[in-house]
Amino acid sequence: MLAFGVLFVAYAFTRAKNVELFNASQLTLSRTSGAINTLVLITSSYFVVRGVAAIKHGMNKQCAHWLTGAFLLGGVFVCIKMVEFHAKFAADITMSTNNFYMFYLSLTFFHFMHVLMGMVILAVIIMKAKRGGYSAQDHVGVETGASFWHMVDFLWIILFPLVYIIR
Amino acid sequence: MNNTKPPSNLFITIIWLALVALTVMTFSLGEAGMSGKGVMLTLLAITMIKSQLVANYFMGLRKAKLLWRAIMFGYFAIVGGLIAVAYLMGLK
Repeated sequence: MLAFGVLFVAYAFTRAKNVELFNASQLTLSRTSGAINTLVLITSSYFVVRGVAAIKHGMNKQCAHWLTGAFLLGGVFVCIKMVEFHAKFAADITMSTNNFYMFYLSLTFFHFMHVLMGMVILAVIIMKAKRGGYSAQDHVGVETGASFWHMVDFLWIILFPLVYIIR
Repeated sequence: MNNTKPPSNLFITIIWLALVALTVMTFSLGEAGMSGKGVMLTLLAITMIKSQLVANYFMGLRKAKLLWRAIMFGYFAIVGGLIAVAYLMGLK
């Protein structure tokens, strides 16, 4: 989170010296994709909360169902982001194109990798929950994985308006 | 092991709906092409509310010690505050 915080602030101060360039480059991004991905992550986080609530009642099967929903939404996020990355690379946009794209690509790719890691963590928890591996008393693993997923959501909630909207 | 009755989650569903509504507001401001100090501060305020809803109700920090809530709030206060300063510097 600290690394993201530093990158967010660095983006803002670099933008202050290149406002026109950043505003013009920002217009090439798909705000719709960014907004849909925000809704996707928020909803996946909601599913994770429901999964944690289920396991607190010892409901392994329901927990696995909710977390599977969150995992699938994580997949939707990844697909939308890959379409966005593909569009940028197809337009010959790279990190060296300009400072805006350097921040856009590094921030969103760094976050993208966290989403993938979160999906791996969710998959491991889902498999264990399906085996009945957690209980109302012993579910620290579920809560830890849930916290990581919420952190990924929390960071995107800042990243989306910062990079896609505020101008 | 499984109980038959799932837990009630009406309140957390309302929080989720609030987050959806705030996201739609953010998107709408972007689509309207609005800019300037007031819009920037409004967007940051919406972002702060969203981040605190996630931290307090999704992560469950509202039941945690004050220190943990202060850390999550402090994170946004510092990062969001510096972003606001940088954007104000960029305004002509």
